[in-house]
Amino acid sequence: MKLVAIIKDFKQANDLKDLVDAFILPIKDYSINTDSNFSLEDVLEFKNLGKEIFLSMNKNIHDSELDNLKEILINVEKIGVNGILFYDIAFIQLKRELGLKTDLVWSQEHLVTNYETINYWNGKGARYAYLSSELTREEIDVIVSNSKSKLFMNVFGYIPMFTSRRHLVNNYLEYFDLKDSSKNKTLYKEGKRYPIMDSTYGTTVYSDYILNVLDEDLSSIDYLVFNSHLINDDDFKEILYNYKNSIIDYKFPYEHGFLYKKVVYKVKKND
Amino acid sequence: MIKPELLAPAGDFERLKIALLYGADAVYIGGTFNLRANADNFSISEIERGVNYAHSLDKKVYVTVNIAMHNKELSDIVDYLKSLDKIGVDAIIASDPAIIKLAKENTDLVIHLSTQASTLNKEAAKFWKSEGVSRIVLARECNMEDILDIKKNVDIELEVFVHGAMCASYSGRCVLSNFLTARDSNRGGCSQICRWDFDLMEDDEYLKGEKPFTFCTKDLSLIKYIPELVDMGVDSLKVEGRMRSAYYIATIIKTYRKVIDEYWNNMGSYEYNLKYEQVLRRCANRDSVPQFFDGNFGKNVQYYNGRMEVTNQDFLGTVLGYEDSLIKLQQRNYFKKGDLVTFFGPNDEFDVVINEIYDEDMNEINIVRHPKQIVYIKSDKEVTPNYMMKKAISTIDK
Repeated sequence: MKLVAIIKDFKQANDLKDLVDAFILPIKDYSINTDSNFSLEDVLEFKNLGKEIFLSMNKNIHDSELDNLKEILINVEKIGVNGILFYDIAFIQLKRELGLKTDLVWSQEHLVTNYETINYWNGKGARYAYLSSELTREEIDVIVSNSKSKLFMNVFGYIPMFTSRRHLVNNYLEYFDLKDSSKNKTLYKEGKRYPIMDSTYGTTVYSDYILNVLDEDLSSIDYLVFNSHLINDDDFKEILYNYKNSIIDYKFPYEHGFLYKKVVYKVKKND
Repeated sequence: MIKPELLAPAGDFERLKIALLYGADAVYIGGTFNLRANADNFSISEIERGVNYAHSLDKKVYVTVNIAMHNKELSDIVDYLKSLDKIGVDAIIASDPAIIKLAKENTDLVIHLSTQASTLNKEAAKFWKSEGVSRIVLARECNMEDILDIKKNVDIELEVFVHGAMCASYSGRCVLSNFLTARDSNRGGCSQICRWDFDLMEDDEYLKGEKPFTFCTKDLSLIKYIPELVDMGVDSLKVEGRMRSAYYIATIIKTYRKVIDEYWNNMGSYEYNLKYEQVLRRCANRDSVPQFFDGNFGKNVQYYNGRMEVTNQDFLGTVLGYEDSLIKLQQRNYFKKGDLVTFFGPNDEFDVVINEIYDEDMNEINIVRHPKQIVYIKSDKEVTPNYMMKKAISTIDK
């Protein structure tokens, strides 16, 4: 069981280096749902911290982005990292075509939901899989028992629940001629507030709560992911410190997301 | 160049029949394990009936098996796939690669990759071809250049959505429904949170436009781009809407059939007819735009005023039969003696002024106001049970 942090900048990484085993670095132009992103030169600097390095390249890849992506992947191979978190299947094909050795982490957000599909991608070159946050504890345990891949799991942080290519916030502001002061935005509904952010690549909406499953027995999971996105740096460090040192932290309430929540998909009986 | 297939949705056998009769070359339907868990999905015997009917017309049936499986679905999926294979469906539409793998290992099913897989580029397309997928339903975020480049570089059939509702998100990347209503969107439980209203806030201040924030998008329509799609070599043109009515299916499919045929038969002298846009717009009661296809997906592709399904009463009735110069009709919306109406069938349409109406006991009546009321309308022109009656467009214009 290793602790992984999705981080915002080098200062934060340096500050956390004794608390974590690995960093996830969002890569410029190929990453979404994060506060900041990094160039490959930055990655070299992070490597000096002596931790495992995973690159997050989790956006949908449009056809026009392929040439640049190939170039980046070749350079990543030269730099040497522990793995690339990918969403788009182009990564599997390019790993094959370019003969890349870099490991891949199947990170299709809400689609990593059964062991058979995890094992399928393992056979295609993704030796890691990043579990969906919509799984129950029982489902996770079955996946752990049957999966050939090493598993990542979100254990602390906001969860993305909607990603669009459209710029929904900017469109709304523009349509109604409202001023954007670049402050944090949320969608409000029935007493709950959902963070919403536009970026160059579209819009993401996040859970109204900070997932916090740190009271669970997580020893069977290979990589526990702590996501700093939208979290204050000091609080984030405190959470990691306390978890690392088995101190029960009450700053953030436990929030188990879907671990014990029953979700249905058929509400009407067909004739 | 190959003439593209026109692919229609069908929520049940009656709509399957209507879609094929009104010009679709193939239909796609849902059984078990599909993303419309709450539609009137087909049982295996109903799928078999649909397949037999379609094959009798030399047309095809594809079955969506496009959920993202959880562990518990793994135990039943193989038997289901074997059943589909046995009854001769022409393809399954899947997105979870485990389903694709299991279908390949256990059946001879032809596999189409669902739009849920969000294929946007040629490298992903190459991968799926190498996995034995014969057709890719492209992501709706593809623009014209993307489609052309994929077609040029990968020898695989491409299917493109041309009409219907759009997800506000990338397919597969929305679980709003899971979080807000505990219904799993990637297993068919989507509760369409994208059509809800929200307040947009900046820190603790409301950012209030004249209307609340919504994710809601306008519909897609590529009717005016049919020549480009045909020229690009797109293999299948797909209409969305497995939960839509028979009237909707008949109108949309008939209109696209006309446009495809008009272009295909007259490429040199084809001229786009704006009237078709009007027909489509009236039918859906929603605005439609090319969405991502033309690269313009700014503020004009969304709605800003909440639900927009302003009901119209254009659809007046379904023809049940014709005998002794009387059309037997089941009412869908109010009409009366003296109204100018249009009867339309798979291959023609004509206007009629309603001069005589009779109830089921053959008493003459002036007004038909009861939903599903059976009435008889005098007409010298013969129609068949697959015809429908709507308001004449000229009366709508007034």
